[in-house]
Amino acid sequence: MSREWLGGLLGVLAIATNGLVSHGLRAEDGVTNETITIGGLGALTGPGYLYGKIVMDGAEAIYKEANDAGGIAGRKIIYVRQDDRCEPSAAIAAAKKLIHDDKVFMIHGGGCTNASIAAYPTIKEQNIPWVIFASVGDSLTSPPAPYIFSTALTAAIESFAQVEFARQKGAKKIAIVSQRDAWGRDRYDAVIAAFNKAGIKPVADEEIAADSNETTSQVLRLSQAGADAVVIVLYPKPAAAFLRDAFKVGYKPLMIGQTSLGDVPVLAKQTGIPQAMERFFAISHVRYTPGDEDSKKWQALLSKYSPGEQLQIFQVLGIGSAKVVVEVLKRVGRDLTRARFKEEIQKLAGFETGILPGPITCTETDHQCHKTPAWVSLVDDKVVTVDTTTVKK
Amino acid sequence: MLLTYALATGLTSGALYALIAVGLVMVYKSTGIINMAHGELFMISGFIAYAVHVQLGLPYVSAFIAAVVCGFGLGMLIYRGALKPLMRSSLANVLVAAVAISFILKGLARAIWGGQGDYIPFPPILSPMPIMLGPVMVIPQQIIAVGVSVALMLALALFFKATRIGKWMQATADNVKAARLVGIRVEQVYVLSFGIGGAIAAVASVIMAPITLLYPDIGFNLFLKAFAAAVLGGLNSILGAVLGGVIVGLIEQLAATYLHSKFQEVSSFIVIMFALIFMPNGLLGQRNIRKV
Amino acid sequence: MSRLLGCRSLLGALFICLLFLPFGANPYWLFVGNLILIYIVLALGLNILIGFAGHLAFANAAMFGIGAYAVGLLQVRLSFPYWLALPSGGLIAMLLGTTMAFPALRLSGIYLAMATLGFAQFTQWVFLNWETVTYGAGGFRVPAVDFSPLALPPKIGIYYLSWLIAVSLVAFAWNAMSSRIGRAFVAMRDGEIAAESLGVTLLHYKALAFAMSGVYAGIAGGLFAGLLDYVAPETFDLFQMITHKAMVMVGGIGSITGSVIGATLLVLLLEALRAFKSTQEIAFGTILLVFVVFCPGGLVSICRRYLPHWQEPLHVAQHAAILPDTDSGDVSDSPPPPARAEL
Repeated sequence: MSREWLGGLLGVLAIATNGLVSHGLRAEDGVTNETITIGGLGALTGPGYLYGKIVMDGAEAIYKEANDAGGIAGRKIIYVRQDDRCEPSAAIAAAKKLIHDDKVFMIHGGGCTNASIAAYPTIKEQNIPWVIFASVGDSLTSPPAPYIFSTALTAAIESFAQVEFARQKGAKKIAIVSQRDAWGRDRYDAVIAAFNKAGIKPVADEEIAADSNETTSQVLRLSQAGADAVVIVLYPKPAAAFLRDAFKVGYKPLMIGQTSLGDVPVLAKQTGIPQAMERFFAISHVRYTPGDEDSKKWQALLSKYSPGEQLQIFQVLGIGSAKVVVEVLKRVGRDLTRARFKEEIQKLAGFETGILPGPITCTETDHQCHKTPAWVSLVDDKVVTVDTTTVKK
Repeated sequence: MLLTYALATGLTSGALYALIAVGLVMVYKSTGIINMAHGELFMISGFIAYAVHVQLGLPYVSAFIAAVVCGFGLGMLIYRGALKPLMRSSLANVLVAAVAISFILKGLARAIWGGQGDYIPFPPILSPMPIMLGPVMVIPQQIIAVGVSVALMLALALFFKATRIGKWMQATADNVKAARLVGIRVEQVYVLSFGIGGAIAAVASVIMAPITLLYPDIGFNLFLKAFAAAVLGGLNSILGAVLGGVIVGLIEQLAATYLHSKFQEVSSFIVIMFALIFMPNGLLGQRNIRKV
Repeated sequence: MSRLLGCRSLLGALFICLLFLPFGANPYWLFVGNLILIYIVLALGLNILIGFAGHLAFANAAMFGIGAYAVGLLQVRLSFPYWLALPSGGLIAMLLGTTMAFPALRLSGIYLAMATLGFAQFTQWVFLNWETVTYGAGGFRVPAVDFSPLALPPKIGIYYLSWLIAVSLVAFAWNAMSSRIGRAFVAMRDGEIAAESLGVTLLHYKALAFAMSGVYAGIAGGLFAGLLDYVAPETFDLFQMITHKAMVMVGGIGSITGSVIGATLLVLLLEALRAFKSTQEIAFGTILLVFVVFCPGGLVSICRRYLPHWQEPLHVAQHAAILPDTDSGDVSDSPPPPARAEL
């Protein structure tokens, strides 16, 4: 083919396709007279399903409860889930499918951080409201995108809170133990930033893999470094192994966890040795303690719509976040557009979900709506709330 | 002290790898197939024990037996249902089939038990409190794991030497045509090998469940390490599998203790990569007789 | 009429469909189509290594990752423009892939699989831990590829670039496999000693096989980075490797058309299975299992049976690819022969 031919062909293609690929800003996609379609983006399969499917089960319980009560301004919510498999290319495909095939009004999802980050540009450029329910990545809300909000505590908030807690309790030599996957790394970086801000350095920095069964060497190194407090950035399995092995060798520093370890009674069972939990504190997603009336109420709600499921921190994330979504939808009312959703959520101030430890407040410049970590610990087999602070970074 | 602990924990974590590697090698020796769904056999048996003991409240022993029976049965089913037609096919086909089975098992576990918890705890046989064993403190369940590995190895050695079926398996592993010639029912041997492999995985799962916890995704990473251990030991030798498992465990703990914990996961793979350059058939593998 | 139903026409039809996909596809289907093109290249490279050259290697996903990281990092850290970064990334992947030819000289069958698996795990570890270079577990953003000189929006531009590269690489592979390179590969696969005795220098051809597979995977990786505008370690683990293997198996081992069909079908299958939501794994596993058990030669074997004019490079030799691994050498290693074999 001669060069002119090629140029001409490319030119025709350019003109033809420019108009064809949808840059669409459709105002009322996903809203009909009777329904609102909300897209659920998260991992339904694979190990990430805990922060995807299980969270969505919690959210869907709230949506179905609202539907059973008559819907929102006469509309029932349809929650359409798509699997991002905790992997960037699947996340982009899932987001595009939700937007262009399922034609959702908004997205309520976001589990694995890397998947959410990958899907972020796709969702942002369509100006579709996205309420993030579990992803911890700070870059998702800072700098804020007009339509993207988060009800999850970010890595930075939790990590700063962990270091602050250690210092408040009088620890002088603080160490870190972390898992270095995408989830852990965000938090680890924030912990280091918190250390820098406080002008101190960690006395030891160990790594544990997410499915590790044996952590004694890490424990010993921390012990030899003389750490009197350990900031723990781990999932329950490695954390349980860590607590168990620390107890085994008689190493008893202050153990400071975060929301992934927030279900302290379950963690105690996973560790297998109740005494190992003596100096363990974690940030909790809930303000109640398991076994009391409130938790029974939530378990009943969950069992109604997802029979057989145990209430865990994951569904709690979904329930709290869905309460926010439902509240905003109610406030917008019958004249439902994406722009009005955005305006309304930005005005949300001090909203009590009844399940998350603190009030939800979003503003135009601050899309990180949840900033209240609650500290819990296990005292005589009972969960006790130790402290609730609102973190201003 | 660091060294003592590194060795002790290497041994106990190696026991887990050894148990799984033995099951893998058991199957490979007889049938020539690497069962990539072996990790999921481990996983499902653990969940069955959980279902029987914790969810249904039946005694531990019945849970153990249920798990072993399940492992045995599932192993046989995998062979009969899926892998048998592929015996004549290339390695890659068998691999993909086994992986497909692992997807199915994982999906089933997630659907049935996924809502129960992220990592489901399982009660140990003895008290969970650590005890002093010589210079180190250990968790009792870990000692049981080591004991079970040794016992299993001895039992298998006895099985191969003393029982007829064991001898049939050895014969089939050695030379299939000759085995058929002397009247050994090779088909039965294959089925049994898969069954026993599955049963071994089940034993490992129930013994280790209090420490590894139960979750649908435990299978693949464990399989990788066990596979590495089996290859290191030489895929044809059960003793090699045990040795390989222990060595992998030791390398991991030594690397974590003396280098840095970030090397723990990758150290065994690096060592094996290099080991294969010098010992292309693993430590105890049979020497390569090349057919031309 | 039946003359038209050969593999060349099938390939042609598929690529023409893909050429016109952007006219009328929504962004989701455009993305899926682009993924298909990328996986075609990837599956092709893998098939050359496994199907034609007969090496069961597990490093393909790692090569894919090396390509994606190399192209991304060259753009982000060294400010390479994409048109330079893409071939450079492919080259880097090729060089690293070729290093695996050396263990391939000594190891075969399962042991080679293990060595390449170790390499893949090591590569994954490097992506995660060499943070000063690779940005670690969080991955990094790659600027969108700039197609403005051609007046194309980035998504369309990367689509047609992928299309052009896929077509060229398919043609290249076709020619290569029809030539003495292909014959040498097949000879090596079916009997190394015999091949050597016929003058096939093992080291050269093994290196060439790994190099070809590496450069294909590397370029696929570079296109992937350009498509996602983001590179993170999750996509390049062993799990994904199995998906690539499945593409090769489903299409047909040792067949170029097979790689293309397999990649297309598997990507489409995975998207279609989205309807199963949480039970996708079970559905995918079942379909894959049924397929592999009843059609071990892949879809191409069906085509070959029913379409008499299916002429592919070395298609006679493909039949041997699905029979037992005879070149693994170790007597007790090889899977047992079929029950009805003569004794």
